[in-house]
Amino acid sequence: MLNFDEIFVTRNWFGKPVRRDKDARFVRGEGSYTDDLPMDCLYAAFVRSPYPHARLGNIDTSKAAALKGVRAVVTGPEVAAATKPVGARAITRPAVQHVMATKKVRYVGEPVAIVVANDRYLVEDAAELIEVDYEPLRVVVEIDDAMKKDAPLVFDEAETNVLLHDTLTHGDIEQAFRDADFVMQEQFRVQRFSSTPLENWAMIAKYEKSTDSYTVWANDQQPGRSIVNLCNALGIPANRLRLIVPDSGGGFGIKLAIWPYMVSLCVVARKVDKPVKWIQTRREHLLAGTHTPDCILDLELAMKKDGQVLGLRMRDRQNDGSFVHTAGIYNLIKFANIVGCYNIKATQAEMMSIVTNKAPTVQNRGVGKPAMMFSLERLMHRAAVQLGMDPAEIRFRNFIQPEQMPHTTPSGEIYESGNYPECLRIALEQIGYKDLKAQQETLRKQGTYIGIGLSASIEPGTSNLGYYYTSRGTPEYMGNAEGAIVSMDYDGNINVLLGSVEEGQGHATSVSQVIADMLAITPDRVTMNQQLDSVMSPFMGHSGCYSNRFNDVEMGAVIMATKKIRDKVLKIASHRLGVPVADLRFRDGTVYSEKDAGKTLTFKEVATLAYKQVLLLPVGFEPGLKEVAFYKNDIAKLPNKTDFNVQMTHANSLHATVVEVDPATGMIRFRKYVIVHDCGRQINPGIVEGMSIGSTVHGVGTVLLEEFIYDENGQILTTSFVDYMKPLAVGLPRFEVSHMESPCTTSLLGTKAVGEGGAIGSLAAIGNAVEDALTPFGVKVTSLPITPEKVLRAIRETKVI
Amino acid sequence: MIPPKFEYVAPASLSEAAAFLAAHPGDAKLLAGGQSLIPVLKLRLASPGFLVDLGRIAGLSYIREEPASGGKPGAVAIGAMTTYAEIKQSALLREKCPLLQQTVAVVADVQVRNRGTLGGSLAHADPSADMPAAILALGGELKAVGPKGERWIAVGEYFQGMFATALAPDEVLTEIRVPVLTGQRSAYLKAARRATDFALVGVAVRLRVGKDEKCEEISIALTGVTDRAFRAAGVERALQGKRLEPKLIEQATADVVQGVNVMGNIHGGAEYRAQVARVYAARAIAAAK
Repeated sequence: MLNFDEIFVTRNWFGKPVRRDKDARFVRGEGSYTDDLPMDCLYAAFVRSPYPHARLGNIDTSKAAALKGVRAVVTGPEVAAATKPVGARAITRPAVQHVMATKKVRYVGEPVAIVVANDRYLVEDAAELIEVDYEPLRVVVEIDDAMKKDAPLVFDEAETNVLLHDTLTHGDIEQAFRDADFVMQEQFRVQRFSSTPLENWAMIAKYEKSTDSYTVWANDQQPGRSIVNLCNALGIPANRLRLIVPDSGGGFGIKLAIWPYMVSLCVVARKVDKPVKWIQTRREHLLAGTHTPDCILDLELAMKKDGQVLGLRMRDRQNDGSFVHTAGIYNLIKFANIVGCYNIKATQAEMMSIVTNKAPTVQNRGVGKPAMMFSLERLMHRAAVQLGMDPAEIRFRNFIQPEQMPHTTPSGEIYESGNYPECLRIALEQIGYKDLKAQQETLRKQGTYIGIGLSASIEPGTSNLGYYYTSRGTPEYMGNAEGAIVSMDYDGNINVLLGSVEEGQGHATSVSQVIADMLAITPDRVTMNQQLDSVMSPFMGHSGCYSNRFNDVEMGAVIMATKKIRDKVLKIASHRLGVPVADLRFRDGTVYSEKDAGKTLTFKEVATLAYKQVLLLPVGFEPGLKEVAFYKNDIAKLPNKTDFNVQMTHANSLHATVVEVDPATGMIRFRKYVIVHDCGRQINPGIVEGMSIGSTVHGVGTVLLEEFIYDENGQILTTSFVDYMKPLAVGLPRFEVSHMESPCTTSLLGTKAVGEGGAIGSLAAIGNAVEDALTPFGVKVTSLPITPEKVLRAIRETKVI
Repeated sequence: MIPPKFEYVAPASLSEAAAFLAAHPGDAKLLAGGQSLIPVLKLRLASPGFLVDLGRIAGLSYIREEPASGGKPGAVAIGAMTTYAEIKQSALLREKCPLLQQTVAVVADVQVRNRGTLGGSLAHADPSADMPAAILALGGELKAVGPKGERWIAVGEYFQGMFATALAPDEVLTEIRVPVLTGQRSAYLKAARRATDFALVGVAVRLRVGKDEKCEEISIALTGVTDRAFRAAGVERALQGKRLEPKLIEQATADVVQGVNVMGNIHGGAEYRAQVARVYAARAIAAAK
């Protein structure tokens, strides 16, 4: 962490809830998303498989091709012949997959052909005219079935449906279980769900015949890597691809792997003389490629009678559907966060990434942590109940204590700071914990069933990329880094270009606050060009808006580039004013001499010297005021199995909620909801609060409503927002948010992760509250979502949700 | 999400609309508020050749009192193109028939209520829509206009199955007449996973309690339970002439789905729906009394 006296020359903006004026255009409908770009485009549509598993036969495109206005029809096998297969990251079994179906289809919705036509309506009509012969194969849908000996294989060459199977042991796990007084164990199931951003996937591809190159516009969330993937798939060098990322309407991870569609679009763009646009429909979005994997987690806690947890064993079986690129990633992130907020000395994680005929999965808000924390915090609650101990007390007894920070977990994750007990104390106070138990008793007598749920969770940030190579050798990507260009223009105003494009997080505002305090100007003098253009923007292989990395590496790059600008401004002013740099100070967009108030230069005057009156600069001094900086977080370790860190910052949150369950209908209603969040220093508390609440609403959806449901034949039943239910404002509690501030020692500003906390911590809080409410009925919560129907069935028969 | 090709026609009169329907059997759909039809088109679940917009026909949107005459009791007449929002705001309905307002208050969301129409919902006859339950509980009749002129259909004979009504393919539903509920109480209770969802179960109740606190008249209708909205006649009989004590209500509503083929889907299985129907029927009766 930097010394703030060194980094800031004023403290007017950092840490203040500055209004997001820079984003007003989005709510006014003035954003410029991919579909808004003023380009004369042709339109693409994909023909998708109605079968979950089938051999692909003849594809008759003649009727579609004959339709007036249809410009190109390309089949999956043709795309495959023109491109290289999709690269795998975490899995260790061989599995060959192309960006479109080739010999067989592996899920309902897999693209088998792409059509290009003059308009959006025509192209959909043409897609319906393509006739595909399918020879249905046996289908494998659920985890247990996929692991059976005679299960149909999704990838024949893998000879199994388990594409990653690894066990990582850290600490003396055998000893921990030998020393245990008892073992708490449970199996948890978490469903498929997703964050469903407002804007679906969107892209335009244009082939430049003169240079044999491609330009792609897309709402890509990880452009640094997509460029590599796209070039690899198309077999072209990087200088023949230009990627432009315009405004993006929400991401949450869901747009991290849209590049396979970009590959297909480039293939068809080469065949026509105009740019080709594909705008994904909501149905397509829900159908194919945006899911969080469903999983079955078996957890065992080695426990002492006093509530202490000595060791933790996990068996994680994860249904990754049918996309080799992302398969296995969730397993490893779950594992990396296995101990949560607790001082558990020994862990063992058996991880399996399983392929089935469900849709591809992709990183979704919290990646693995929601399922991990749900299971761990559910089991902690159950352990407390079993011991007759207060659920708050068992947590106090196991928390990593503030004086133990920084703390290294058994596998090597470094928790740099945090005060977990204090977060819990604040939460208990806020929710009125002391009186709740008595209130619960009184209400029960009146036939009203309320429950109290607590959950403490880790919210890590900034992935140390390459963690998934623990099983695969030397990673192509390691650590995490970002680039920024900061320039001062003719008027002395600041413009910023980043290697990543935000999807609505308010980065432009946060960046302007930090730069304003670094240069003694107002944030309105800072503009951020909120797009990425690979021929102009600074970027890294890591670039992208994911993994809570903004306030770490992205801000790091901005700070480093701004420092360069500031140093240069000082040198120019020093020379012009004849004042040593040490005597110069900043105030209201000017540089002045501390010793002689008459000696002053405005930024505009400095810029005039830098850009125009270059003869007044020192001899040999580089003119101009545009600086590029790249920044990496050095806390990242090289991946290996014995000691590695998957993330570089560790925020935490404490969720406490009171719910009421109607035992006649199983319906659940919130009575109170408290969030205590510690993300270290806050750049903009307004944005932090919004994200804490927003991410919690995602969690509420996960717990109570959302699920991609497949029938036993592998057909997905939830492809509209009628059936895939997002939470609404009506029915949500009033979230009461409090903050702790334990500065992060390893990020420049002391900031930590912000965007995922609620999506991680809310699941167990609500689950624990529901189970607590249903104590008189002896009901146990082990799976999500908790639907009213499941609640009622559990009350009346099964006793298990 | 991208509808197939269709042609749009906007007749200026009812007879023109009916004639168009008759001339294009099976290939023309009437467009009222569009809140059900447009999504169906966008998902390509239907592909009619023509959309016949009723929005340009004058005189289909009104709420007015029809005084008793010729042995018919007084009624409130509602034009088929009247929106939920208009029903919600009607002072006349507030006084004469609050059940309709109680029901539209929980239909979907503000945008749907601003566009969606009473006639559109009844003609569509979604098995989980709210309005069919309210209209069934109210009784009354519906006016259909076709090439051969107009006819009145009793509410009890109107709903014939999932998305199926007594309307002929070339008929247009133009008016709904419901009785004036002076001296009655009513409630509409809807169970749904989320506020804007279709009803998992919806229960409409109207009843009159006499001076001796005995139930003199009761009408209960449910939606979301089976392929169409239905009257819970057995429950009505069990409560008729009795004091509406909680115990009795519970006993009577225990049989609310008896003989009904309860539907199930991912939003709620048959067993669950049946249970919610029992609970909500009891609660709706209690809320009305």
